[in-house]
Order: sequence, then structure tokens, then C-alpha cells
Amino acid sequence: MPPAIVVDRLSVWYDGVAALRRISLTVPGGAVLAVIGPSGCGKSTFLRVLNRLIDRVPGVRWEGQVYIGEDPVLSERTDLTRLRQRVGMVFQRPNPFPFSIFDNVAYGPRLHGVHDPKALRQVVEASLKKAALWDEVRGKLRRPAATLSGGQQQRLCLARALAVDPEVLLMDEPTSALDPVAAARIEELVVELKGRYTMVVVTHNLQQAARISDFTAFLQKGELVEVGETRSMFTAPRDRRTEEYLTGRLE
Amino acid sequence: MGRAGATAVRAGWVRRLAAGLAGLGLMGLTAVLAELVAQGVPHLNWHFLTAAPSEFQPRGGIGPELVNTVVMVLAAEALSWPLAWAAAIWRVEYAPRPTLVRVYDLLLMAFQSLPGIALALVLFSVLVIDWGWPLSVATGTVALAVLNWPVAAVLCQEAMARVPEAWREGSWALGATRFQTLTRIVIPAALPDLAAGLGLSLARLSGETAVLIFTAGVNVGPQWGWFEPGETLAVHLWYVRTEGLMPDRGAVAAATGTVLLALVALGVLGGRWLARRLGAPKEPLRF
Repeated sequence: MPPAIVVDRLSVWYDGVAALRRISLTVPGGAVLAVIGPSGCGKSTFLRVLNRLIDRVPGVRWEGQVYIGEDPVLSERTDLTRLRQRVGMVFQRPNPFPFSIFDNVAYGPRLHGVHDPKALRQVVEASLKKAALWDEVRGKLRRPAATLSGGQQQRLCLARALAVDPEVLLMDEPTSALDPVAAARIEELVVELKGRYTMVVVTHNLQQAARISDFTAFLQKGELVEVGETRSMFTAPRDRRTEEYLTGRLE
Repeated sequence: MGRAGATAVRAGWVRRLAAGLAGLGLMGLTAVLAELVAQGVPHLNWHFLTAAPSEFQPRGGIGPELVNTVVMVLAAEALSWPLAWAAAIWRVEYAPRPTLVRVYDLLLMAFQSLPGIALALVLFSVLVIDWGWPLSVATGTVALAVLNWPVAAVLCQEAMARVPEAWREGSWALGATRFQTLTRIVIPAALPDLAAGLGLSLARLSGETAVLIFTAGVNVGPQWGWFEPGETLAVHLWYVRTEGLMPDRGAVAAATGTVLLALVALGVLGGRWLARRLGAPKEPLRF
């Protein structure tokens, strides 16, 4: 059973300017949370707190706490290597490394000390299968990843994240750079992987949020306006601002 | 003809003017180089490439100068490149404090634009006067290394800055440390640019004169040694042209220039060749 994510009064500032204000929410283990909201509302910041990629931003400061399972994320003692192995991430633009398909997927396992060729082959095959890419690339694993199409590259990035055996998956607008068919395949994968991983998906696409998520969080100007079950939120939002956002976009 | 048509005519005129000027410049350069090579090549033979230079007699060679040039340039690269690389890694990968970066960038720019002759005088007073080093291969090598460091630092810095940030993020997100990301992603991805940059700086150092006249000297010793006088090809060319007393100085100068030109071309083309060999597509494919 993948771990739950508990966010407890999380605030983030960049150089003293608030990006997130006192966010509290819970994602049950194995569920999919969609994070929606206008540009600059703090969606990406929220995602990057969960794997501490936020540390790379100069002048960042935070308060509050996030738990993945039992373990605090925002602690001095958090082992970032271990955290990022547990919490995988897929980015907005496919970002395969300038290596072969095989070496892209094997990158994570090698980092974490797997060097046995047989074990590497197994984990690469299993990960590519989970990302529904195996049938398209088997026998071509030595080709540069850059020869794949955009949608395939994004599934490769998913396979690369899955190869280190994470429990949580973060996706930052994973389909916004893809054509509709490639986007649909990623959506199918999210639904398929549901239950095996706890997932947080940032999206600009409200229909996508409605299709793939169990829970939805609506952020505006760094504040959590509303969070709840996706179905009830899309049919009967409790907050007027949520309703305006949903109807304004869905019409 | 409407306004759009008039603009098109004007654009065509500008394009023709630019092409003409570019062609004129290229033709002028080509003429100079062709003249040099045409005068130099007939004088080139094995004797010229290996014999010692002569001060007053004809048929002197450039053997020691050739060796000095190759040794000093390579040694200077070996000294300066690792230091330049280290500085670039610090600057690009370890995101130091912004104020420190501003000071560093300013200093780097200042060092880069420092005239060789000014650097030579400083090095002369420190190395030769204060420390008592002779005008020699070793002193010249240090001078070349100091001259090269800021340029190499900028080349390394640009090579690494061209590695997309998305690759670094992808690596960090998988649990890689900064150092692992550096050695497994950034450096391999930057290698082609680094190779091309190395070739450029080899070529530049081969042609350097001002910094060497006061540090390596304008003559060569009876045998090769780190602390023997270390005249290079470029300095020899300058010396022969300005103070040479040999009767065939015109031909010697042209032939020396031709060899120097070949070395420079070797540096630039070798670096480019290596860059292509190491090459990987820089950007993830567009779609």
C-alpha cells in the first residue's frame, strides 16, 4: 500500500514574497490528487515541495510540515536522496537525458548502486512495460532517447522515474507539451497506475483533472480555496471562486 | 508597388551590401594568406623544419621554435585548463552568492581583456626580477597559462551553461547529488563544447607573442630544456621580420608563418573534429 501524503499548514516564500499560504490537505495512499488553478497560483511550488526540488531555488523559505507516510519531508534530517527515490517526478516538457533509451531508464538504479547487467536489464524492461513503452522500443534500447517522439519521450521519463521503485509520483503538467493522442496515453497510464502509487498531478486541463483524479485541490494566489473529491467538487463546488474558475473555463 | 514592395527592395539592397562587404573582407584576408603561403611553401622542407635557426647565414631552420611552441602551448593548457574548469564548475553548478558571482564575472572580464604586453611586464617583474627565473620555456609556459586561464574559464563556463537545466532537474529528481549530476550529466553533455573550446585556445596560444617576448625570450638555447630560452614560432616570426639579419629573412618569415598557420588550423579543426566525435544533440528533440 503506497503512503498517504499529509500537508500541514504549509507556507512557502521566495525572497519574502509568499507563494503558498498555510496549505493543509491529505491525499490517501494510492489516490490521485489533481492540483488546478490559474498560472502563478503556486501549483508548481506545491509539487516541488513534496520532493524538495524547491531547495534549489535561492532565497526560498518555508513553514509547516509535509508527511509522506510517517516521514517528515521538511526536516533538517530528511535524506534527500532517499526522499527523491521514494517520490518520483515527471516534468512538463519531456526531459530525457542525452543517452540511449536503456541508459535513461538505468540512470536511477545505477545512482542507487545497481550495476549488475542482468538486474539492470530486468528493471529497465519492467519499468518500460509499466510505462507502456516496451512494445515500441524493444530491440531499440541502444538508440538515443532523442530519436523518440514527444509522447514516447514523456513515457520514457515516466519509466525512468518508475525504475527506482518510488511510492509517490509527481507530475507537473505532464501532457501540456503533447499532442492529444499522446496526452490520452499518459492519462490512461495515470489511471492504470492508480492504487500502486500515490499521485499528485498538476494540470491546466480541467477535463483532464475530472477524468483522472480522485481528489482535486484548487489553488489561487497561493491559497488553497477548496479541496475535495473530484466528482463532488466539479458538480457542486462549495466555494464561489471555485465555481467561477470551473465554469469560466468549462463553458 | 506598395509599401511592402518598397521594403522588400530596400531589404534586398541591404542584403546585397552586407554580402558584398563580407565578400570584400574575406577576399582581402584570403589574398593575404594566399600570399603568405605562396611565399612560404617553396621554402618548406625537412631541413627547415628541423634545423636550428641561424642569425646571419642563410638556410636557418625553425626546429627548436617548433618544439618550443608545441611544448609550451600544451603545457600551458595542461596548467590552465583544470583550474579554468574548476572555476567554471564553481560558477555554474554550485550557485554561489550573487554578490560573489558579480565580482567574479567582473574580474574575469577584466583579465580577459588584459593586453598580453601588460601581463608580460607584470610577470617579468615578479618571475624574472623578483624570483630570478631565466627567460625560458618554463617562464613562458607560466605566462601563457596565466594569459589563457580567464579565456578558458569563460569557454568552460559557456559550455556548461549550455547544458539544459531540465537535465539537471531530471537528475536531481531521481535522487542524484549535485556532484553525481555534474559527473554523469553535465560534464558528458558539455564535452563537445569543451573540446571545441580547447581547440580554439590552442590556436590562440600558438599565435601569442607579446606575453612571451619578456618571459620566454627571442632566442633558443644550444639544447632543449625547461630553463633554456624558449622562442616560439610566433615570436620568431616577429623577430625575423623586425631584427633579422639573415639574407633570406623574407622567405624564412613566410615559411615560419605558414607553419604557424598550419598549427593554428590543426588546433581549431582538431577541436571541432573532437567535438563532432563526442557530439550529442544538445536539445531534446522538438515535436
